[in-house]
Amino acid sequence: MKEFTEEELAQYDGKNGNLAYVSYKGKVYNVTGSFLWKEGTHQVFHRAGVDLTDALEQAPHGGEVLDKFPVVGILQDIHMPDMPSKP
Amino acid sequence: MARVAREMVEKAGINVNQLVELLVKNAAAELTTYYYYTILRCNLIGLEGEGVKEIAEAARIEDRNHFEALVPRIYELGGKLPEDMKIFHDISACPPAKLPKDPTDIKAMLIVLVEAERCAVRGYTHICNMTAGKDHRTYDLSQAILNEEIEHESWFSEFLGEGPSGHFMRRGETSPFVSKFLR
Ligand code: HEM
Ligand SMILES: [Fe+2]
Ligand SMILES: [Fe+2]
Repeated sequence: MKEFTEEELAQYDGKNGNLAYVSYKGKVYNVTGSFLWKEGTHQVFHRAGVDLTDALEQAPHGGEVLDKFPVVGILQDIHMPDMPSKP
Repeated sequence: MARVAREMVEKAGINVNQLVELLVKNAAAELTTYYYYTILRCNLIGLEGEGVKEIAEAARIEDRNHFEALVPRIYELGGKLPEDMKIFHDISACPPAKLPKDPTDIKAMLIVLVEAERCAVRGYTHICNMTAGKDHRTYDLSQAILNEEIEHESWFSEFLGEGPSGHFMRRGETSPFVSKFLR
């Protein structure tokens, strides 16, 4: 499975025909087809191409909304699911 | 625009442009839901469908009321609706509540309906969280809408038999919570 650096992930910002990828708890998801991620923007505040593990804590839904989107890789180093998250 | 009203919200630490954008997206969700629910209602026929029709209609009318109630707040805060309705449709905060492939499948219809309401419950909860103690009028409005969205969710959830019911269909006027913003 492909490993993304943060710089690589940043290219998938959903803008100008780019694919829209977001990472959550170490996994990188392709949310390109979603009605709610058009142009890589979600509900005004969130952008594709970055790790949204912390942002999702504040969302009015859990990580299960990502289940229906394909996992396209893992994010290097940070937020691996088996590592304790930041204190 | 209500200049001082906007200033007060800014002063409380809210990014008013972002808030307005969110209100416009939710207004779009309401008007598009009103439209898609019209199609759903027309297809709610037969022994099972007719039973759901009445609450689908109440939810449809109340969503239109939510649109009507949001618009003045958007303009007060210095925002506006997009000129192009196609754009308005596409920026909706919730996905289109489209007719299921088999419209005679009433369970599939109820799932479309309950998911649309759940999206709304999430959206207004977030707006309430953002504005609580800061933007009193937007909070009051979104909380009134939230009260009705939660009832909509319950109606459809109860039809799906997800759990026992504490509700009965609307009696009397529609929009018991939002009506004060419509007068
Ligand atoms: C301000 C924070 C957020 C708000 C207000 C918000 C709101 C929403 C709402 C209302 C929905 C629709 C849910 C439904 O249909 O019931 C949704 C779906 C979704 N959200 Fe968020 N969300 C936020 C943050 C996030 C974050 C940080 C992520 C990060 C991954 C995320 C990912 C998703 C995904 C993948 C979906 C499903 C999209 C689809 O089904 O096409 N959200 N969000
Ligand atoms: Fe509504
Ligand atoms: Fe509703």
